[in-house]
Amino acid sequence: MLEQEKTTKQILEEREEELKRERIPLYSPEALKVIEEELGKWKKTRFREDQLRNWELVTSNVLGSEIPKKLLYTPVDASELDYVKDIGFSGQEPFTRGIHPNMYRGRFATLRPLGGGGVSAGHTEDQNTRFKVQIENGATGLNVAYADLSLLQLCGSDDPRMEGQVGLIAYPIDSVDDTHIAFKDIPIDKISASYIGHYPTNCTVGFAQYLVMAEERGIPWDKLPSSMQNDVVMENAVRAGMDYLPTKDVFRIQCDNAEFVRKNVPQCNFVTLNGYNLREFGTSGVTEIAVAFANAIDMLKEFQRRGLDPGWMAERIAFFWSIGNDFFDEVARLRAARRLWYKIIKYQFGSNNPRAMWSRMAAQTSGVALRREEPYNNIARAALQSLACILGGVQSFHTDSYDEAYSHPTAIASLIALRTQEIIECEAGVREVVDPLGGSFYIEALTNEYERKILDELDEIQHQGGIVAIIESGWLRRKVVEFLNREQKLIEDGKIKIVGYNCYKTDEKLPGIEEVKYAEGVREKQLEKIKKLKDMRDNEKVREALDELIKACRNGGNVMEYCVKAARVRATTQETFGAIKEAFGLWKPPLSY
Amino acid sequence: MTQERKIKVLLSKLGVDVHWRGVVTVARMLRDAGMEVVYIGNANPPEIIEAAIQEGADVVGVSTLCGAELSLGSELIDLAKQKGLTDNSLLLIGGVFPRSHTLKLKEFGFDGVFEPGATREEIVSLIKNAIEGKEAVK
Repeated sequence: MLEQEKTTKQILEEREEELKRERIPLYSPEALKVIEEELGKWKKTRFREDQLRNWELVTSNVLGSEIPKKLLYTPVDASELDYVKDIGFSGQEPFTRGIHPNMYRGRFATLRPLGGGGVSAGHTEDQNTRFKVQIENGATGLNVAYADLSLLQLCGSDDPRMEGQVGLIAYPIDSVDDTHIAFKDIPIDKISASYIGHYPTNCTVGFAQYLVMAEERGIPWDKLPSSMQNDVVMENAVRAGMDYLPTKDVFRIQCDNAEFVRKNVPQCNFVTLNGYNLREFGTSGVTEIAVAFANAIDMLKEFQRRGLDPGWMAERIAFFWSIGNDFFDEVARLRAARRLWYKIIKYQFGSNNPRAMWSRMAAQTSGVALRREEPYNNIARAALQSLACILGGVQSFHTDSYDEAYSHPTAIASLIALRTQEIIECEAGVREVVDPLGGSFYIEALTNEYERKILDELDEIQHQGGIVAIIESGWLRRKVVEFLNREQKLIEDGKIKIVGYNCYKTDEKLPGIEEVKYAEGVREKQLEKIKKLKDMRDNEKVREALDELIKACRNGGNVMEYCVKAARVRATTQETFGAIKEAFGLWKPPLSY
Repeated sequence: MTQERKIKVLLSKLGVDVHWRGVVTVARMLRDAGMEVVYIGNANPPEIIEAAIQEGADVVGVSTLCGAELSLGSELIDLAKQKGLTDNSLLLIGGVFPRSHTLKLKEFGFDGVFEPGATREEIVSLIKNAIEGKEAVK
């Protein structure tokens, strides 16, 4: 069997077998023996029969863990630990405790608000105002939602299907001109912009416009700290949409974007594999990571095929996780993900580049954990989840607003979310010590368990042929549907308790919440701008650029490179998406439920 | 009596909204309750109404979380009335929207408006009772 064809699990297991003899156990066999004896006595003398029968319980909460928990953990539960090899020190292998030596003492996690600063959707001009308010309020990174519904559906505001639906959840961008409006006076060479074009197809069109905007402002591309999602799972498995491109082509665009950005925009994380939305759609914390890793691994293999060094490419891969209610599981999961990623880079791809081994993580508190009933309770939920983000060692995080079960966030709700993060930063006393839960028998046992489970699921995915295969076959979607229906039943049966919904309900009316106001006339304004643009630009050049783009899609040129060319001559968003759709044709995804 | 006949439900994402956790959850609930469910994915009001007529749906349910509930919701109701669909079929809408919109959607003429937190029982019983009501009138 060729090395390439082995699954990650097979490769790591062979490696671990080799390394077994070199392990130095943290706990001595003598100590473990005594602990085990004492544990046995304690259980026997202090507990009733029924208590012992229920020794292991599964916690029950939204997006919760499926791992049974003992009443108490001892070194016996993590008996195989080798301190240096499994836990170690922050900023060095195996990175379990964090990717940077100084962690939050050096720099706290980037606070990235999604909403806030006036209306959180509407006219392109409003986005500019919002950025400025966010920066004034202390935001250290911007979330650029290239996420108006038109863009999420791979079209522009002028697509006829968009009537009445432009500017509802973000801001339209219909050409480079709109990108200029959105970023006017924003120091994009100083503040990092997370470009939430979730989808590869959407990044290839939108980030190209962003790059052209920077170019026209005289800001060199190598001065742009930024990141983008660029994730095929988001485009073809998580999104409910009208137009889908074939999955293998979307994966290819994802890799094209990565290659182009790595070569031309060196400070940009060219993918932020989005576990978040997959998990919020409905998957376990294990599947979330296994799917993202499967995607990353397939991408690195494709880079190898293209003659690119996987270690160099992996320097700019980042991840985005959902942080749910199961506090300790969330912390352990992040630790496990860091350790497993390090092993993948080192043993599967043979790279010793520490930056490649860093599993850089953005996180967001769970949206589906928020409730409409007694909405202010959501502030407490988001605060606990935010704390888990920090104890889990993330690089940037976003705290959800309490009103998200009503509409997208109002200004006041967004500000409270940002303040929650700042209170954790300044008042909670949690940034001074690295990985403070590390060494807890419970956390270490859970970390090991998560690493095993993620690896097992990764194996299952790779046996099916990898990331493209599990989307095409509908496996991933069926998995999601099974998960969310099971969870729904548990909530209905009251097994998952939700305060204010199925337990501790009150008849007392809580104060209503302010509702967001939707902007009006956004599409009309965009249509006018597009019409003007078409009158002003050189339409022949646009046609040529779009033809070149179609050719590149079909003949294997880099898709983003040709999108940049099209953006320069002011091809509109609708036209650029249109060319890509024409080149690849459309796919019908399975709609099982 | 036609009580043994399966209730046929057509479900759709309304417009171009991208979230489908809610509609998938409801689809399964209704199937579990013995109804026949057809989920058509994303569609605009004219396509939804056309599909409902073709399928002979007793219930048309649409889901939206993106803020277009009023504009597309009223278009859907108007079309349904024009095509005579409201005489025999139930029109339901669910999703994330402000409370004031819930009231407006009811005014438009939706037979059921479901906010987040709506239970299986609420949804299923509303459909069963209303269908029985309509059948009784016949």
